[in-house]
Amino acid sequence: MAQVLATTLVVASLYALLAAGYVLVYRASRVLNLAQGDMLTLGGYLLFAVAANVGGGPVLAIPVAAALAALTGFLIYLVLMRPMAGHPVFAAVLVTVTLGILLRAAIVLVFTDQIRHPAQLLGLGNPPRRLPGGAVVSTFDVLTVLTAAALFAGLFLFLRLSPLGIQMRAAGERALLASQRGIDFHRLFALAWALAALSGALAGILYSSNVRLEPSLDVLGLKAFAVALVGGLDSLGGVIPAAILVALIEVLTVRYGNPLLSDVSPFLCLLAMLLVRPWGLFGTREELERV
Amino acid sequence: MALGGGYFKTTYASDLALVDTRLRRVALAALVAALLVLPRLTSSFVLDLAAQVALAAIGALALNVLTGLAGQISLGHAGFICAGAFTTAALVEYGVRSPWAALAGAAAVGAALGLMVGIPSLRLRGLYLALGTLAMHHVVLYVASELQSRWGANTGYSIPPPRVGALTLRGTVTWYYVLTGLAALTLCFAANLQRSRAGRAWMAIRDREIAAASVGIDVARYKVLAFVCSSMVTSVAGALFAFQRGFVSVEAFGFLVTVEYIAMIIIGGLGSALGAVLGAAFVTLLPYVIDALVAGLKLQAGAEYYLFPAKFGAFGLLMALFLVFEPQGLVGIWRRVRNWFLLWPFRYRPLRSTS
Amino acid sequence: MRRIRLGTLAVVLVTLAVPLSSSGQDAYRIGMSAAITGRAATGYAPTYEAYKAYFKRINDAGGINGRKVEIDYEDDRGEPQRAAAAAKKLAESSVLIVNASISATYKPLMTETEAAKVPLLFGGGVCPREAFPPANPLIFCSTSFGSKWDIIYALDFMKAQAGGRKARLGLVAQDIPLARIELENAEKLSKEMGFDTIPLVIVPSAAADYTPFAQKLKDDGAEWVFAWSPWPVEIGVFEALNRLGWKGSYLLYGHQPTQDELARLKTPNLYAFGGNSLFTENLPVHQEITSVVKGQTQHPAHYMAEGWVSAMVLEAALRKCGWPCTREKLAQAMAGVSVDTKGLRGGPIEWTADNHYRKSTWYKVYHWDAGRNAIAAVGGWTKLDIK
Repeated sequence: MAQVLATTLVVASLYALLAAGYVLVYRASRVLNLAQGDMLTLGGYLLFAVAANVGGGPVLAIPVAAALAALTGFLIYLVLMRPMAGHPVFAAVLVTVTLGILLRAAIVLVFTDQIRHPAQLLGLGNPPRRLPGGAVVSTFDVLTVLTAAALFAGLFLFLRLSPLGIQMRAAGERALLASQRGIDFHRLFALAWALAALSGALAGILYSSNVRLEPSLDVLGLKAFAVALVGGLDSLGGVIPAAILVALIEVLTVRYGNPLLSDVSPFLCLLAMLLVRPWGLFGTREELERV
Repeated sequence: MALGGGYFKTTYASDLALVDTRLRRVALAALVAALLVLPRLTSSFVLDLAAQVALAAIGALALNVLTGLAGQISLGHAGFICAGAFTTAALVEYGVRSPWAALAGAAAVGAALGLMVGIPSLRLRGLYLALGTLAMHHVVLYVASELQSRWGANTGYSIPPPRVGALTLRGTVTWYYVLTGLAALTLCFAANLQRSRAGRAWMAIRDREIAAASVGIDVARYKVLAFVCSSMVTSVAGALFAFQRGFVSVEAFGFLVTVEYIAMIIIGGLGSALGAVLGAAFVTLLPYVIDALVAGLKLQAGAEYYLFPAKFGAFGLLMALFLVFEPQGLVGIWRRVRNWFLLWPFRYRPLRSTS
Repeated sequence: MRRIRLGTLAVVLVTLAVPLSSSGQDAYRIGMSAAITGRAATGYAPTYEAYKAYFKRINDAGGINGRKVEIDYEDDRGEPQRAAAAAKKLAESSVLIVNASISATYKPLMTETEAAKVPLLFGGGVCPREAFPPANPLIFCSTSFGSKWDIIYALDFMKAQAGGRKARLGLVAQDIPLARIELENAEKLSKEMGFDTIPLVIVPSAAADYTPFAQKLKDDGAEWVFAWSPWPVEIGVFEALNRLGWKGSYLLYGHQPTQDELARLKTPNLYAFGGNSLFTENLPVHQEITSVVKGQTQHPAHYMAEGWVSAMVLEAALRKCGWPCTREKLAQAMAGVSVDTKGLRGGPIEWTADNHYRKSTWYKVYHWDAGRNAIAAVGGWTKLDIK
C-alpha cells in the first residue's frame, strides 16, 4: 500500500508539472497549448545538448536547460501565437499542434531518434531510496515530487503576491479591461508561455534523467491534459488534487484491476467529470457559459 | 457571391439551382470530363493519391457539417472512422461480406456513437465538448484494440474486396472512380444541407445560440442532429477506407488523423463545403508535393538522412504559415481569385449589387 | 503580396505535375519503405542507413554483375496509409521492395505487392507469418526476430537456467496486437512446458511509470520474467523491478540499444537474447562494418547489424539473379539463396521454396558479467530448426 501511494505521488507530480503548463497558457490567453508534451521532450533534449556540449556538471546544465526552454516558450509566443491573436481559438489550437510537429521534426533532425540518457552524461546516478513503510522510489522520483512542489509554491506566490502575477491574473480574466488599465497583455501572455515551457521542460529534464529520452515522449502530454481538465482548466490549484486523483486511479487499475485499462483511465476520469461537473473540480463555473 | 452588374435571377428554379450561370455549368462539365479521363493520363500512384483525396474529402465534409456549420468542436473524428472500419471488419469476421450491409452497419454504429456524444453536447460547450469527444475517441480505440487482439490479427485485419452485383471492386482505377463519385455525392449532400432548414438552424446556433433559441429553433434537437449526421457520414467513410485498403488496424486511427481532418477544414476554410474539399486535397497532397520538390532539388548524398525529418518539419511549417497568414483558408484565396476574374476590370463590387 | 502567394501556390501545383525523373534503365532498381522518421523510427532508421552504406560500397566497386544498384527510399513514418502509397509508387519501377517498419504497415504493403507481383523483403521489422513455412512465394524475411521461434527459444533457455525446477514465470507485453498475441501464446506454451506462469502483464505504450507493473510481477512472486516488445517497455519494466529490489532474472529480446544499455546498467540478472552478435565480440565483420559506415551514418555502427545482414542477403539474391533480372526471376533466385553471415548471425541464412524465413535460426544470450566487468555471452549459439 505504501508503494502504491509513493508511486501515485511520483506520477501525480509528473502530471502536475505538465498540467501546470496547460493551465497557465489557458488562463492567460484562452488557448489550449497542445504542444505541451513536446515541451517535455524539448526540455529533455536541451538538457542533453547542454550536457554534451558545454559540460560543467549538473549544477550548471539543469538551470541552463530550463532557462533555454523558458526562452523558447517566450519566442514561440512572439513568433507564432501573437499573430494568431485575432483568429478563432480553434485555429490557434491547431497552430500549437503544428508547432508540436515542428519541434518533433527539429529534434529528430538534430539528435536522431536514438534513445539517450542525459543523466549518464552528467555523471548522475539514480539510486533507489527506501521510504518509511517499505516503499522504494528512485532518487529522481523524489526530485520530481520536490520540483513539482517547489514550482507550484513559486507559481502561487508569484501569482498572488507579485505585481506581475496579479497583472497576469487580471489579463487572463478580462484582457480588454486590463489593457485599458495600461497592462501590456502581450508581454504577460509571453511570460505565461515561458512559464508553461519551463514547467514542461522541468518535467522533461526529470523524466529523461529518471527513465530515458527519446523523441516520442510527447504522448505523456495527452494524459496530463486530461488531468488539467479534471482539475479545471483555469485553476492552478485544481491541478494538484486532480493529478493525485488521476494518478491514484491509474496506479490502482494496474495493481488491482486490468493493467490494460490504465491507459484509458485518465480519459474515463475525464468522461465522468464531464458528465458530473464539466468545469472541473475547481474551475470557475462561468467558464462554461462564456465559451 | 460577387457578381458583375447586370446578372439577375429571374426564376425560382435558377434561384434554387446549385450551378446557375452558363460559365459554371461549362466549368463543371470540364472538371467532370477531366476527372473521368484522369486514369488514362497519369500513373497508378497519382490515381491512388486522388482516391485518398476523395476519401479524405468525404471525412472532411462530414466534419465541416459538424464544426463549420453547427459550430460544435469535435476531437473524436478518428474514433468515428475507426468505428466504421471496425464495424466492417466485425461483419466480415462473422461472415457478412456484402458492402451494402457493411455501409448500413457502419452508418448505424456511427449514428449511435454520434448520439452518445451529441447528448452531452447539450450541457457542454466549446472546449469541454471537444474533450468529451476526445475521451470517446480513446474509448473507441481501446475497444477496437481489444477486438483486433481477440481476432488474432496482429498486423491488421484483412478485408476482402467487396462485390457489388457482378462487379468486384478491386484495383486503383476502380476505387478512384468509386471514391470520386461518392465524394461528389457527399459534396452535393453537404452543399444542399447548407441551404436547407437544418443548415440554417445550425448556422444560427453557431453564431448566436441564445438568439437562435429565442427565434424558436430547437437547439437541442439540431445539435444532436448535427452530431448524428456528421458521425454517420464519417463512419461510412471509415467503412470505405476498410474496403479500399483491404485491411484495418487500430494503429491507423491515432490522434494525428483527427488533427489532419481539423487541419483540412480550417486550412480549407471553416464553414464552406468547397473549403473542406480543398483542405482535404491540400493536407493529403502536401507531403507528396514536398517530396517532389525535394527530389527535384537533387541534394548531395550526405544530406539525405536529414531530408526526412526536414520534410516532416516542412509539413508542419507550411500548415502553420497557412494558418497564420490565411485565416480565410484556401476558400478565401479561391474567392479572391474568382472575384478578380468576375469583377474585372472593376476591383470592387458596385454599391448596389444583387448578391 | 496576394499575387506572390498565389504565384507560389501555382508553382507548387505545377511541380506536382512534373514526373519524377528516373535515371538509368541499366541498373537494379530496389524500393525501400522504412520508418525513417516518426515514432517508430528508433528501430528502423538504422536499417535505412545500413543499406545506403552497404550499396554505396558495392556501387563504388562497380556494382553487381556490372550494374549499379539504385535504391528508392520512401519514409512511411510507421503510418499504414503512407506505406500503401509508398508501395504503389515503388511498385511501378522496382524489381523488389524492402520493408523496415512497424507491423502496422505490413498488411497494406503486402496487399500492394501481391497485386503488382513484386517480391517483398522484410529487412528490419518482425517477420510475418507469411515468411514461415509454408511460405508465400513473394514474401521473404531476413530479420533476426520472428515471434514464434523467439518464444520457443526463450522458454527453453529459461527452463534450462531454472534447472528443471517448476519456476514461477512472469510475462510482459506492450499493448500492441503483435506482442499481446505472441505472449498469450507464450503463456499457454509455458504452462505446457512446466512453468508456473502468472497471467500476462500488458503495459500501455504511454506508461509514465513502470513501477506498478513491476510491483505486480514482484508481488506475484515471479522468479523469471520474459519480455518481448519494443525496447522502451522491455527495459522500463526491468529498471522498475530492479529498483524495487527484485532478485529474479529478466530475459528480454535484445534490440539495437542492447550493447549500450547492458553496459550502462551493469546488472548481471538482465539477459538479452537475439539473433545478432553484439559488436563487443569485435569479430572481423564487426570491424569491417565499423570502418565502412564511419562518417556516413547518424546512428552508431553497432546499430547496423540488422540492416547489414538484410543487405547481404539482397546482394546475394541479385548476384544469383544475374542480368536482366525480372521480378519472377528474382523471386525464384531468392527462394534458393544461401548467405554466409560471417558471424553476424549464428549461421547462414538459407531459404527454400517453402521456407522464406531460414532453414535454421540461431540465438545467443548476453548479460553483464560482474566478474569480468564486461558484456559476456551465456553459452554459444543455439540452433533452432525451422519446420
